[in-house]
Formats: sequence, structure tokens, C-alpha cells
Amino acid sequence: MLDVALVSLINDLSEKAGADGVIQFWQRVGENLASRMGKEAYLGWPSFNVAVREGRTAFSIEGETVTLTDMAIMDVDGDVVGYLYALKQCVFLPTILRVRYTSGDLPRADREVAQEYNDSHHDIAICNFCVFHERFREEVAKNITVSSQPLNCLLLATRGFTGETKISTKNLQKIGINPEHVRALLRNYECVYALEMRGARLKEGD
Amino acid sequence: MARLMESNPFVEVATHFFLEDLADKVGIQGLNNYLIGLAKTLANHMPEEEWRDWKEFLEAMRAGDTMLSAFEDVVALTDCCMVTRHSPFERGWREYVKRVGSFSPAHKKVAEFYNKNVKPTAVNSLHIILQTFRAAAAPRVKVAGKSVRYAQIATVWPDGQRMVASDAERPELLKKAGISETKLRMLLRDNAEVWILWTEK
Repeated sequence: MLDVALVSLINDLSEKAGADGVIQFWQRVGENLASRMGKEAYLGWPSFNVAVREGRTAFSIEGETVTLTDMAIMDVDGDVVGYLYALKQCVFLPTILRVRYTSGDLPRADREVAQEYNDSHHDIAICNFCVFHERFREEVAKNITVSSQPLNCLLLATRGFTGETKISTKNLQKIGINPEHVRALLRNYECVYALEMRGARLKEGD
Repeated sequence: MARLMESNPFVEVATHFFLEDLADKVGIQGLNNYLIGLAKTLANHMPEEEWRDWKEFLEAMRAGDTMLSAFEDVVALTDCCMVTRHSPFERGWREYVKRVGSFSPAHKKVAEFYNKNVKPTAVNSLHIILQTFRAAAAPRVKVAGKSVRYAQIATVWPDGQRMVASDAERPELLKKAGISETKLRMLLRDNAEVWILWTEK
């Protein structure tokens, strides 16, 4: 029931501190959680990807994560410096359904917080939890090294409960991946992100 | 309502951190007030219910068709004595201790405040939400035209910590539940919560 109560909490907090206040709150909570999870090191991408598959990385708290090994990120020399990862189901979807079947529909604050985030930070959120989620992943990535290189996380695309999609052209440009590739991925997945080695010299997209 | 799908434990872990951040801002007493307000709001958002008689209500309790059993698997041991086999917060807590580490002391401290100032049946912050929710939800459920009433007898956390209603209150509560003190101790070995529901005659 804690998740359903959280939805009421967001509504209450939004009334008291405004949508921007909720965003600041969520971002701080994302940073705190990521910092409590500690550091991780992997010898290379194969060992990191096995850890993802077995649910051993900090990212695994989100649930089952699929490594899209056919979507490697290359640097200017053609070396693999990252991959795309995806969640079949948004972590907030069960909560949306639980709210639907207990108290009715999601409060207006959920949409307002997401909209404020899209307008003022990054146009990628489809629900208020995306705000927390993006910051959490960014902070977790900093604490993980692959081949001694810390990672960088880029949220690429999201699909909401009602079919609404968001694609981050800004982040796709950074890793040289075409939005159409990601659009196709959204048929199967609800959240797609990239992990790449921080500081890698990437070939930017058109 | 039927059985709800389970939440993603990540959302629950995030909520724990949300509450911990709140405790830093408003202190333990403030968090206690917040949790109580939160649970009452949640209960008030759920539609009121009416059941023809106690038998129909108990069937709804078992099936998860009433708000009083929407978030937990409840067994009706007697007509009035309800037993929750597993805490609805156990999955989230297990994920927290597996991925993050030991539970923040804020969750325990706020329960101590609640136990001292409200009633002594919470092991941690989550029980404040659950027990306040039940207390606020019960009057919204009518059985044969009468509002349901609720009282908590005992709470056990997965790590074995338990809180039981005070010596002064317990005999009356056990009488209403229709179980003995010995039976209560037996129930506390492998259940998460023992509570009672009734209507005034």
C-alpha cells in the first residue's frame, strides 16, 4: 500500500510546495538512494552485462532489465563504449493500476509534476516518478566503473500507460542513434536508456 | 476490487527514502503527523462500502474485495479476529536491506513516538500508515447498516520484532477477537498482524 500512499503524498506535497518543489524533492531522494547503494566495478562490458542479466547491479533494483546487445554505442575509433538498456514495464505501472483499482485515478499532481519537469528540465517524463528515476540512474552510473571508466546514463525514451511516448532527441544525438531505432524499441519496451563510458569520444548523430 | 497486482519494490524503496528525507526536514513528530495524515487521506479517497451481513463481509475480506483487505492477504480466524499472514511492506523492506543496507533509524524512531503518544502497536513507520489507514477506512465500511470498528492487537516484523497492545487493553481485545492469550502467542510465531473488526450490537 506504500506505493498507493505515495501517490497521495505527491499530491499533498504538490499543493504545499508546488510542482517544482516536488521535482527538487524527488531529485534529492534519487541522489540519496543512489549514494547509499555504493560503488561497483566491472572488468569490462561482458561482465557488466552478465551482472545486469543476473540482477546484481544497482540498476537491478528497477526490476528485470534487458541489455540490447544489438544496440552497442561506438566511439570514433569503432570501439564499444556502451549499450542501450530497456525495461519491458515502467516501474510505476503497477502503482498506476493499483491506484486505479483502489481509489480511482491518478491525482492531477502526477501530470503537473511531469509537465513541469518536461518544460523546465528534460522533455522525457510521462509520470512524476520519471523525475526521480532519471536522477537516480544518473547518480548510480557515476558510481559504476567498467574497465575502470565511470559510466554516464542517458535516458532516451519512455512510453506511458496511455500510449504516450517521449523520445529525447538531445540524448540520442549525443550517442549517434537515430530516433526511428528507438521508436521501434518502444513497441516492446516502456523505458529505454543508454549507459556509456564517461568521457568517451563519440561520433555524434546528424 | 479483487487481488491487486503487486507493486514494483523499487517504488516502495523510493518511498522509504522520501519519508527519510521528510524526517530530516520536519523531524520525527512532524513525520508522525505526516504519516497519519497520509493514511487518513488515502482511506478517504477510497469509495465507501456496504455489505448485507457479516458473512458477506468476511467473504469480501478473504477475496480482497473490500478496502480493508485490498493491500494485504487477510485470514478471518474467528468472526472478528483478522490475521495478516505477511506484512504488505515485507517485499519493499527486503529489497531495501538487500540493495541499500540497514533500515534508516528514522523509521524506528517515528514508531517509538507513535507507540508512546498514540498506541503501542507499531514496529516501524510503515505500521503507522497501515494501522491509521485501517482505523480511518473501517467506519467507511457498513455491514448490515452499521459502521465497522477496528483495533490492533499485535504486529510482528519479518526480523522478529513485535509490538502488542498494552496489558490494560489486551484482555478486552482478545475477548472481542474470541482468542486466548496463548492462541495470540501462537499466531505471532508465523503471522505479521493480528487485529479485530466488529460492529456495535
